[in-house]
Amino acid sequence: MGLSIIWYLKEFCRGTWIKTFLFAKTAPLVDPPYFRGYPTLTGKECTHCLSCMMICPTPGAIEVLCEGETWAPKIFEGHCIRCGLCIEACPEDVLDAGRVLETQARDGTSLSVRYQVAVNPDTCVRCGNCVVACPVNKEADPQLSATGTSANDEVIMRIHRGNLWVFHDEKCTGCKTCEGVCPTGSIRIARVAEGRQGAEE
Amino acid sequence: MTGMLQKMKNAVRSRSIHVTYVDTGSCNGCDIEVLACLSPRYDLEQYGIYVHNNPREADVLLVLGCCTPQWEDKLKGLWEKIPEPKVAIAIGNCPLSGCVFNREGSYVNPPASKHIPIAASVPGCPPRPTEIIRAILSLAPTVFKDYEEKRE
Repeated sequence: MGLSIIWYLKEFCRGTWIKTFLFAKTAPLVDPPYFRGYPTLTGKECTHCLSCMMICPTPGAIEVLCEGETWAPKIFEGHCIRCGLCIEACPEDVLDAGRVLETQARDGTSLSVRYQVAVNPDTCVRCGNCVVACPVNKEADPQLSATGTSANDEVIMRIHRGNLWVFHDEKCTGCKTCEGVCPTGSIRIARVAEGRQGAEE
Repeated sequence: MTGMLQKMKNAVRSRSIHVTYVDTGSCNGCDIEVLACLSPRYDLEQYGIYVHNNPREADVLLVLGCCTPQWEDKLKGLWEKIPEPKVAIAIGNCPLSGCVFNREGSYVNPPASKHIPIAASVPGCPPRPTEIIRAILSLAPTVFKDYEEKRE
């Protein structure tokens, strides 16, 4: 017992112990380099394609705003969940956070987007408005009739034998003009984004 | 003499920050990040931050979650239980905007600043432990500095 007290006193009188006890510094607070923070602008030019806004899973987290002559995405803190999807979706690499762009380049991952045309046959009245209004259809068949019938197979959709047929929804550009002209609201365009790896377009 | 005493109080207060947290309906993501602050990796107590489960022992209130209707009056009561000087920090997106819970037809009432005065916010879904600790460390000493003089 007596010896252990002496041992402790000796220990406390050691210079290194006193120095550590009085002047020990706490480690600095640093974020690790792999931390994916809020997306920041890399300085590349935004083309206003709005891919970032369309892929964003949170309401009100990102908006592409006009700053004088140029467009630039703006992140709203308090809404953004820092998932990094806008960074991956951007074709111009306007945004970056953490190692997202680096990892994407290394793994060769990309997001591909296509559009699905869905028609509800119960409410569709086969008026052909969507066929006539579609700008892609106009390109493919300039002689499209006002009722939506066409002899051309290259159109996205057409009226054939009193029914609306969707042939090539892979040609759809997602403009949604058909949704606007449909009198019964029975045509719907869905945007489908798929993650890919190693595939080159 | 009073100046010296005040300086000593400031020095002590900046190294001894007492924190309590309240979850007003979050998904537990932020709770786990607050818990991670206590873990050996981040080790809150090396910065002089102590966590209590009793608001009467605390000076800093961490508000997590999106303020469900059941919490509206209870959050206010809890805020009144904290002795002066006190400060509230909103942790995560939920007390700011409601985040994923703030959809049509959901029973939430964000932001938390509607119910109690929020001095600072740490956005993120969830925020990193480093961000939480940084917010507490940067805010609390400035709020508590010269508290007695400010009150007069």
